[in-house]
Amino acid sequence: MTEPLPPSSPPLPRRVFLARTGVLGAAGAGLAGARGRVAAAPVPGVEELIALVRPVLTRLALDAFRGLAAFALPGDDAHSRAQGTPRGRAGGVAAEAGDLVVASLDRFVPFPQEVARPLTMALVTATAEAGIGLPRHLPPELGRLDAALRLLLRGDEKIPLSFVAAVLLGVLATRVHPAAADGPFLSPFSRLSYRDKTRVFELLEHTDSDLVALLDTHLPQPLRGSVSGLLKYLGSGLLSLVSFGCFTEHAVWDAGRRDITALPVGWRLTGYDGRADGLDDLKGYYRGRKEAVGHA
Amino acid sequence: MRDVIVVGAGGGGPVVAKELAERGLDVLLLEAGPRHAHPREEWTHYENDANHPLTGFFRFGPADRAKSAWFRETPQSSFVMQLSGVGGTTQHYFANSPRAYPGVFSGCSGPDAGAYDIRHRFPFPYAELVPYYEWVEATLPVRTAAMGTKEEVYFQGCETLGIPVQTALTTTGDSYRPQQNAILQPGGHAGRTSDPRLLVFPRSTGCTFCGHCSQGCMQPVRAPRNQFAKRSTDNSYVPMALTADAWSPGGRAAELITDAFVTRVHTEAGAATGVTWRTGATGESHREDARVVVLAGGCTENPRLWHNSGLPDPNGWVGRGLTDHHLDFVVGVFDHDVGNSRGAGSAARCDFPGRGALEQTGFPPALQALILTTSDSGIRGAYTNGRGLYGPWDGPTGRVFGPRLAELMQDGGHDRLLNILVLTDDDVQPGNRVLPSAFPADAHGPVPKVEVHQRRRSARTLANREFLARKATALLRGAGARAVLRVDMFPVPLHVQSSLRTGLDPGTSVLDADCRSRAVDRLYVADNSALANSLGGPNPTLTTQALATRTAERVFTRVFGGDPWVRTGAPVVSTDVRVSRRLADLGL
Repeated sequence: MTEPLPPSSPPLPRRVFLARTGVLGAAGAGLAGARGRVAAAPVPGVEELIALVRPVLTRLALDAFRGLAAFALPGDDAHSRAQGTPRGRAGGVAAEAGDLVVASLDRFVPFPQEVARPLTMALVTATAEAGIGLPRHLPPELGRLDAALRLLLRGDEKIPLSFVAAVLLGVLATRVHPAAADGPFLSPFSRLSYRDKTRVFELLEHTDSDLVALLDTHLPQPLRGSVSGLLKYLGSGLLSLVSFGCFTEHAVWDAGRRDITALPVGWRLTGYDGRADGLDDLKGYYRGRKEAVGHA
Repeated sequence: MRDVIVVGAGGGGPVVAKELAERGLDVLLLEAGPRHAHPREEWTHYENDANHPLTGFFRFGPADRAKSAWFRETPQSSFVMQLSGVGGTTQHYFANSPRAYPGVFSGCSGPDAGAYDIRHRFPFPYAELVPYYEWVEATLPVRTAAMGTKEEVYFQGCETLGIPVQTALTTTGDSYRPQQNAILQPGGHAGRTSDPRLLVFPRSTGCTFCGHCSQGCMQPVRAPRNQFAKRSTDNSYVPMALTADAWSPGGRAAELITDAFVTRVHTEAGAATGVTWRTGATGESHREDARVVVLAGGCTENPRLWHNSGLPDPNGWVGRGLTDHHLDFVVGVFDHDVGNSRGAGSAARCDFPGRGALEQTGFPPALQALILTTSDSGIRGAYTNGRGLYGPWDGPTGRVFGPRLAELMQDGGHDRLLNILVLTDDDVQPGNRVLPSAFPADAHGPVPKVEVHQRRRSARTLANREFLARKATALLRGAGARAVLRVDMFPVPLHVQSSLRTGLDPGTSVLDADCRSRAVDRLYVADNSALANSLGGPNPTLTTQALATRTAERVFTRVFGGDPWVRTGAPVVSTDVRVSRRLADLGL
């Protein structure tokens, strides 16, 4: 069968590729042949500013993945209403599937900073182009996502993978619906309809060539050319992980007791209760045969 | 100087360790992951606690759960479902223990001889492996699976396919049957109650139908470890290896060291001489020498260790020829309860030699939801990734997501689903492989990259998968499914085989007919990576264990001058009370 055309979207202007070294300033230093830890020289005052934007980026990531949780399992929450698929029962957002994705990405994916930082640099370019805004309480010079990311790159702290993934979803959101750069919710992805969210993942899995080119040019050798596979892996991984998280117990988990404190949302939705050490479901043996017969 | 060092305590390594410890050799068994010595204190039935791929107690990562999982590059939509820890991937397996089809071995001359991967057969006939099959089947032990609700429904569908029931152990034609599972049959109250007062050993024995094969078997409560229902190697071969002096005259208990990631195989004058491993907790390196080194770290890690150790790869086949059964799921939606989340994970199957196999599989809800998203065809009804296959199933292939997922799962919906896993007889293809990744190295050296070209399979592989998906659809319709959904799974290397394959042709294999490296003396391989091919579709563990038993016998006779035992001896069953008593003495 023929390949369907990817959804139409404005191509990234060629000048962003030419501008990439200039747009990064000091953060671009030290990238050549980056196999070791990439770190920029600390700049006075930068850490204080980073302390201002970091919580905003954390909230943006959480919002994006709550938007993803509603996408996976719509419920009676604001994100599900915003995407146009409200349901009368608790769904993925209430199950905290988005929160699980953030925690998983940041704490347990051994994602190398040698990859996270160049990807973030590429996303600076892409978010600048998309004009993605940030809350107005930040200083004016940090009022846009590209400025916040640029600042983050000037620090020496680890860049959380949830930031990278959430910004990527945000950039793609503005490609399928440019008006998503501004509006309710922190994340452009959460501002989309259900249908437009599917188009974001179509771009991610179909590997939009402009985006791949932009990300790839920032990666150090020998990783050039691996972005397309990485995006496919990320896209499918996010969808699988968030679906899994909609039905698990993590939101009501008491680690000390190794037990749950209440019935998980997914259990209440399905009626499942998986706590028993045995169940009454034995129906005997097919045609009464309890062992193999003969040794053909 | 040890006699033997075995690298990896998964499905295959402990078999070699037990067989050689039984015969008095000094065996060191190294495992990169956690020990899991006391499941009741470490495990639960909860899906996130158990199966979260990055944080669960079943994951591919270090013993310390506070530390990150291990990164493996997969340059495609994919997820490598291998586990670290004692028992390896058998910890979450369904214990299905069918034999391989005779047609995948050399010397096959039946009417179906040309129907298999004829260029990559095993380098010996099926009859050669039968005594080893029998040995393993008796040791584990392997038993005919009991039925629950989902098996009854599955068999209803089978009865409409016009194929016979298989009652023997060797598959000779298209057929269906209860699984031969490495699971003890239910006894006493097991399978008949959920009352915790009755679900205690010995009032209950064997499988309690708890529905938690994916979360590891620790049933019945208070049973000795070697009498837990599921015979994963942590419950069978490992206990035997650690207690060999208690039940085998002249036996010597093997030593098990966990949290020990082997980073290098050492050689001198073309022969393996030992290994270096890194202790996760301390970061310290240790080295031990041995007369024989046996690799059993899995299809991904063995090639990685090979490359990172600088071992020779004269024909370029180390890591190549990975087979994965080109899995797919076909899911029936019923109007009534079919018991998806209850009972053993899989207790019924169909076999189609030359094509592959089907097996009924059951899951708790989170894993069920996960499975419904593992598609290479995009989101069902939204986009297709250039696939979106149509056929006798309903609608296009793709992920079940969003409102449709909610409708499908709510109000007991998860238990109205019957899953059929398609196990394709897939060809060995050199492009499907494990190679060093360009991503940054971790503490154990360069990481592996697992390349599976989902859409560039051989014509035979693709045709087999389509044949099986259609058979699965017919089965589900015959069983009364209201709707049939096909996932079109992306690569989930869950069954993985043949990345260090044995074979007749030195040009396309790494191991000789004894599963010994052609390039390095005294280096053997004893896990799924040693398999010559994908077995024609049957689940790989039993064949790996039979082959590992044969490899252990070859090591014992050829390197240590001992006598073979499989054709003349009688195996001790792993549930033996002498093993139980010694485990109690050891606090295990």
